[in-house]
Amino acid sequence: MTGPLLVADDLHKSFGPTPALAGASFRIAAGEIVSIMGPSGSGKSTLLHCLAGIVAPDSGRVAYQDRDMVAMSDRERSALRRSQFGFVFQFGQLVPELTCLENVALPLRLERVRRREAERRARDWLDRLEVTDLAGKRPGEISGGQGQRVAMARALATAPRVIFADEPTGALDSLNGERVMRLLTGAARDTKAAVVLVTHEARVAAYADREVVVRDGRTRDLARAA
Amino acid sequence: MGARMAVTGGRDGWTRAVPTALGVGIGVALLLLAAAVPGALDARQARGDARDDLRLGEPIPAAANTLLVAPVETEFRGQPVRGRILRPEGPQAPVPPGLAALPRAGEVVVSPALKKVLDSPDGHLFAPRLGGATVTGTIGAQGLAGPHELAFYRGTDSLSADRAVRLDAFGGGLPGEGLGPVLILLVVVIFVVLLLPIAVFLGTAVRFGGERRDRRLAALRLVGADTAMTRRIAAGEAAAGALLGVAVGAALFALGRQVVPLVSLWDISVYADDVRPAPALVAAIVLVVPTVAVLVGLIALRGVLIEPLGVTRRAGAPRRRLWWRLILPVAGLALLYPLIGGIRGGDRADYQIAAGVTLLLIGSVTLLPWLMDLTVRRMRGGPVGWQLATRRLQLDSATSARLVNGIAVAVAGTIALQMLFATVEDEATTRTGQDTTRAQAAVQLGPGVDAPAALDRLRTTPGVRHSFATLWAVATPDRPAQADPQPFIELRIGDCAALAEYARLDSCRDGDTFLVQNPSDAAPVDAFVPGTRLQIRDGSPQSAGARWRLPETVRTVPSRQGPFGDRNAVILATPGTVPVSAFGPLAVHFFATFDPADPDALEHLRNTGASIDPFASVTSMSATTETNRFTNIRRGLYIGATLTLLLIGASMLVGLLEQLRERRRLLAMLVAVGTRRATLAWSVFWQVAVPLVIGLTLAAASGIALGAVLLRMVTAPIAVNWSVVGLTTALAAAVVLLVVGLGLPALWRLLRADGLRTD
Repeated sequence: MTGPLLVADDLHKSFGPTPALAGASFRIAAGEIVSIMGPSGSGKSTLLHCLAGIVAPDSGRVAYQDRDMVAMSDRERSALRRSQFGFVFQFGQLVPELTCLENVALPLRLERVRRREAERRARDWLDRLEVTDLAGKRPGEISGGQGQRVAMARALATAPRVIFADEPTGALDSLNGERVMRLLTGAARDTKAAVVLVTHEARVAAYADREVVVRDGRTRDLARAA
Repeated sequence: MGARMAVTGGRDGWTRAVPTALGVGIGVALLLLAAAVPGALDARQARGDARDDLRLGEPIPAAANTLLVAPVETEFRGQPVRGRILRPEGPQAPVPPGLAALPRAGEVVVSPALKKVLDSPDGHLFAPRLGGATVTGTIGAQGLAGPHELAFYRGTDSLSADRAVRLDAFGGGLPGEGLGPVLILLVVVIFVVLLLPIAVFLGTAVRFGGERRDRRLAALRLVGADTAMTRRIAAGEAAAGALLGVAVGAALFALGRQVVPLVSLWDISVYADDVRPAPALVAAIVLVVPTVAVLVGLIALRGVLIEPLGVTRRAGAPRRRLWWRLILPVAGLALLYPLIGGIRGGDRADYQIAAGVTLLLIGSVTLLPWLMDLTVRRMRGGPVGWQLATRRLQLDSATSARLVNGIAVAVAGTIALQMLFATVEDEATTRTGQDTTRAQAAVQLGPGVDAPAALDRLRTTPGVRHSFATLWAVATPDRPAQADPQPFIELRIGDCAALAEYARLDSCRDGDTFLVQNPSDAAPVDAFVPGTRLQIRDGSPQSAGARWRLPETVRTVPSRQGPFGDRNAVILATPGTVPVSAFGPLAVHFFATFDPADPDALEHLRNTGASIDPFASVTSMSATTETNRFTNIRRGLYIGATLTLLLIGASMLVGLLEQLRERRRLLAMLVAVGTRRATLAWSVFWQVAVPLVIGLTLAAASGIALGAVLLRMVTAPIAVNWSVVGLTTALAAAVVLLVVGLGLPALWRLLRADGLRTD
């Protein structure tokens, strides 16, 4: 295994009087798939948001490729998220007025890729995730499982180094959930992207190489056999 | 249940109920205010009629129940002052409304507003006009047109019947001047133009919080409510919000009513008690607003499928049909078409005009979603911000259309009215011919004053810089009347400088006399040849007159426009040629220009005039004069349009914030994936700007079309004032950009990526 791609040390984060993280640490190597598990309210989503530079921790350090993300400006963090990270959430992630093809092409277009080229690459990803026929449809016209596959295509379209997935199967039935996880982890291994997977389902966490458990804002590593 | 959901449910319930109630409340308050305007003006008019003291016809003889009344009309700082001098002729003399008793000689009763002026540091600028009388009381509300009216009743024991009107009762005089048909057209159109945006605003206000309501309804579906039940609940919720709005509107109206006496618009003020909307109109507002709210709410539900697991907007809004949208403007044109060329003749088809204009303007509102749909459907490509905006508009152009609907109506109406104004202005604005570089004020003193002393006092009044004056009389041939009417000519006596204001004099010295020939009025001059014996009168019928022969040396000279802008046949005489003392009392005409450094010069001159003769007429001169009603209407439009634009701006801001709040999760997600803030700001901008451009284009076209129809109705040539069109649309665009600017801080707050935390 190579050195860590993304490292977090001793993160503290409170929302008002409520502590969400109380000394959490995390590390992930390139190509590694790590699940973050824990009960509701344990702080796992907050940890993911801190790792992705969405939320700044109150204290502690987050480094991506040895670059301190906490010290970065908002503009730099946005650029990092745009170019290096991909995201899959449980709800509300597709722009309802754009077609599925345009949704997948969106991060590429934000990276100033020309529209035609962005849509060509988006179509490739829709094809790989077996949802080519949804290209012209809007999110309101497709099912939840199909929406998650489109969202994964969008997360993978920029060839990110890290994919953050927050409860990606939370709104799906078990069959669709399995399918989504197979596609996600398969695509990540193909592209050698690291995956930070937040879930509370052991069945989903089983797709990861390693598990981190969060409880009361603290992390505990559980090794897993490959 | 719907009603309960509208007002309960904690913060979420209130964040929906409060904007709706406030929006509906503002609209209802404005509707109530509009409904109260006719009643307020009627009440004002009724008080005016009750104190009327103008009498035509046979004079009545003096009796124990008669009163002599002489009007003293003056102004104070541009505001008219209604003054009356009273002398009772018996113990039963009538008392004007608002007074407990007639003021005795040397006493004056003033209106509260005039009392305030007299008690202020500027009181000395008006007090001399009360002839040294002591203020003994104030005029009651029933004797005043409004709380801001400046008025006084002064008692005297020296008023003669020849300078006064004899009354045995107040009131019952002639009815006031009515509005001409063109002005009626303007008033009707202004009311429609100002009220329609309020209606559009109401339509927008009842849709506030629609998406959150849909989610609540989905939750109810999950626990077993069927589609019909959700519709009923939605209807109840809309009705409750609207009823709350009606209550808020009533409260705002009641509050506003208390403020009304503090406000004076166009020299018109009314009492709080005057502002009473007709009960039928109140009932209509209370019934119609919640009904419309329910209908709008139900219509809005047509576009969504509320299912137990969530709300789905119908993909690809149904194609909007043109045919029914054309019915409204076509029907409006059909109503107005028969009036083309006919309104000037005196037709007062008020309702037909109002209905026609309303349908035409509503037509522009109903056409807008169709036009927007047609335009945005073709929009492709562009940067991400543009793409997000146009895709959003393609998915739901109705929301954006609603945001600009009010602006479109206001702009279309304003353009049409301005086109009409440009034409009517020439009709209502009269060029006086007065040259304010020659004279800024004129004082006319009746016969009987000591002219030299009066002129000395006028010339030395503070602020008077230059002046000239003539004595004025009327000359008729001194022979038995051969024609009816007897030919007459003006006689002006003054120094050469003063006479030169009325004729082009090559040379002049004391002892000269001039006959001014007015080319358009040749006949009278023929009767006044050199050597003609003349009878000189002061102009009053009772004047006995003195005799004078027109000198043989009189020279005929070309006329010059006089200081009042008139050009008359006149005999101009220097003092050396006329036996002024033998003529007896003559009227004095005095003209002055002022020192620009003294802003109160006119008031000083009015005081001097009043101290010489209480009935002195002091006139401020200007190059043009407008009929008061026209001025009032134009001011009304400006104020109304400003209020309307602000109201629409407020409605747009609430709508924009509502849209942003509904999309906060999506916005946070977009920021999370690294979307630049500028990209999202541009998308908001385009989302407002595209409908705005389409709306304003349609509004300009509708406004020009309506303006053309209105101009044809008054048989005026069609002329488009492009600068007005440009200015009006630019103003509207500025309001929208201001709204976007005010909405940006909210956007920045919502763009925080940690908004995802709520997920």
